[in-house]
Amino acid sequence: MQHCTRPTCFVPDTGCDLGHVSLSKCAAWSGQTTPSSAHAEPVDEVLLPWSGSALGLADLGFVAGRARPIVIGVAGSQNAGKTTLLGAWYLLLGRGAVDLGSRRFAGSFSLTGWEAVAGSLRWSPGRPPSFPPHTTSRSGRAPGLLHLSTWDIGLGRSSDHLFTDAPGEWFQKWAVNRDSAEGVGARWIAEHADALLLLADRQALSGESIGQARGALQLLARRVAAERQGRPVALVWTKSDIDLEPQVEGSIRDTMFNLMPDAAEFSVSVAPSSAEGNQVGVGLVKLLNWTLSIRRPDIVLPASLTTGVDPLFLYGVRSS
Amino acid sequence: MNSPANSILLLGESGVGKTHFGAQLLKRLMKGGGRLGMDGQATNLEPFEAALESLNEGKSAGHTATSTYIDSVWPVVNALGRRAELIWPDYGGEQIKSMIDSRRVPNDWRTRVRRAPAWLLLIRLQQTRVRDDLFSKPLADLRSTSLDNRDVQMSDQARLIELLQMLNYVGDVTAEHQRSHSRLGVLLTCWDELAFDGTPAEALEERLPLLRAFIRSNWSTPSVMGLSALGRSLSKSERDIDYVSQGPENFGYIVMPDGLHSPDLTLPIQLLLGDVQ
Repeated sequence: MQHCTRPTCFVPDTGCDLGHVSLSKCAAWSGQTTPSSAHAEPVDEVLLPWSGSALGLADLGFVAGRARPIVIGVAGSQNAGKTTLLGAWYLLLGRGAVDLGSRRFAGSFSLTGWEAVAGSLRWSPGRPPSFPPHTTSRSGRAPGLLHLSTWDIGLGRSSDHLFTDAPGEWFQKWAVNRDSAEGVGARWIAEHADALLLLADRQALSGESIGQARGALQLLARRVAAERQGRPVALVWTKSDIDLEPQVEGSIRDTMFNLMPDAAEFSVSVAPSSAEGNQVGVGLVKLLNWTLSIRRPDIVLPASLTTGVDPLFLYGVRSS
Repeated sequence: MNSPANSILLLGESGVGKTHFGAQLLKRLMKGGGRLGMDGQATNLEPFEAALESLNEGKSAGHTATSTYIDSVWPVVNALGRRAELIWPDYGGEQIKSMIDSRRVPNDWRTRVRRAPAWLLLIRLQQTRVRDDLFSKPLADLRSTSLDNRDVQMSDQARLIELLQMLNYVGDVTAEHQRSHSRLGVLLTCWDELAFDGTPAEALEERLPLLRAFIRSNWSTPSVMGLSALGRSLSKSERDIDYVSQGPENFGYIVMPDGLHSPDLTLPIQLLLGDVQ
């Protein structure tokens, strides 16, 4: 089967990344088609430009075509619960247990990706739920991006969010060395995220290697503070059902808020919040609403002195 | 001439009851007395011949072959005397499943999507489920369970959302145009099996909340109705005597958006075609 020459286009696995439903209308495709390979185009069916799995950088063009999506970077060391957080959000959305205020779920081009991160948190026949398997540092140098589109009833417009699902090793390497080759993915997140969630793992901070966990987190907080350039950051305590020594908790808070006084703080857990009834975990919905409320700073145009309401004569010198 | 403006894209996976609804709708149109009536005779009753015969005998109809896709043109007239031609398809529901699984939309389907201004999505809630997870059925200690890789199984509502997203894409309309111009009706089939006290919209919200949110975000006035095409469950082999004596056209009902029942099975169609006729 013939392949497209554009590096971001994966025909015939997915559809044309330029959005042509019919490949024959795509200049890039037609330009390379030779008479002998003209029949290679799958003429009797339409390919889709998204595969459903977590998006990579090359897939972004399709999602970002409407407007630049808001990228939420989920940062934290290995086993801090980054993937579990994403999976839990998807499950809660799927149960209709999330009150998003004026927003409503409006679609996703990475449904299979969401299902994959949420899959292990479900009961399947004969198997209880478990935490998602470790997110591997794939060969790719960019994180898997999970897409979520919401519709704002009040504003009458949709917005797209991308959540990063990246391995903890990337952040550990990046915290130590900003330009580390193994931390390129984390650097991408730091550069492109509109908001960063910094996950503090209460289990690790109460375990045998408290010192190591605290050191790594403080290092990561410093790196984030140095790189964030005024963007919103939230400290997210994961596994909040686990008790922590006040001193340890205090030292993390001190580091975090001395560096970034405006940072938000959340505590989340997937553990049952009460003994009975339908569970929504702890703090998960609140955190999701916070991330969805992130906006890019608006541009404020300077007020201009005008002589009238006619836009053609908007600028001028006041005669009186 | 067939006006493409009056065709309905009927969407439903296998086993939701497309053929039963088609056959019962046909009976109702021919009997008259509903919002829509038949104005003349359908071009081709073949797709429903076997189903009509089974229902007349008080039995349920068989399965429609996978590869079948037959359009039948029904001239209909409403109470005001306005005429339209309804293009009603009958096909094997596996075609929908194969589209979702292969993530490819055959060109025939693309043409149908682009021609139909109104879509009717049939869902049988018994066939769909949201699996238990750690929120609905918590586990005392999740940390003790082993980490393992398991196969990704798409949940039923994710599959239906993906289907609608795929059809939206091949339909080649902008989201804004779709929200304001195209119509979507959701019909919850086999309503009698559900034993649900409440409106169809509430049933959809309870069983497939993510799909309901998706539909409300992408269509401005989606309608959700319930349908019991047969009124009761029929067996494939044993006859239901009431059916035989009273005729299948006296069975079956629609659950309107407000939860009231109506024997007029043409209502969902009338609602969908309302503006485009």
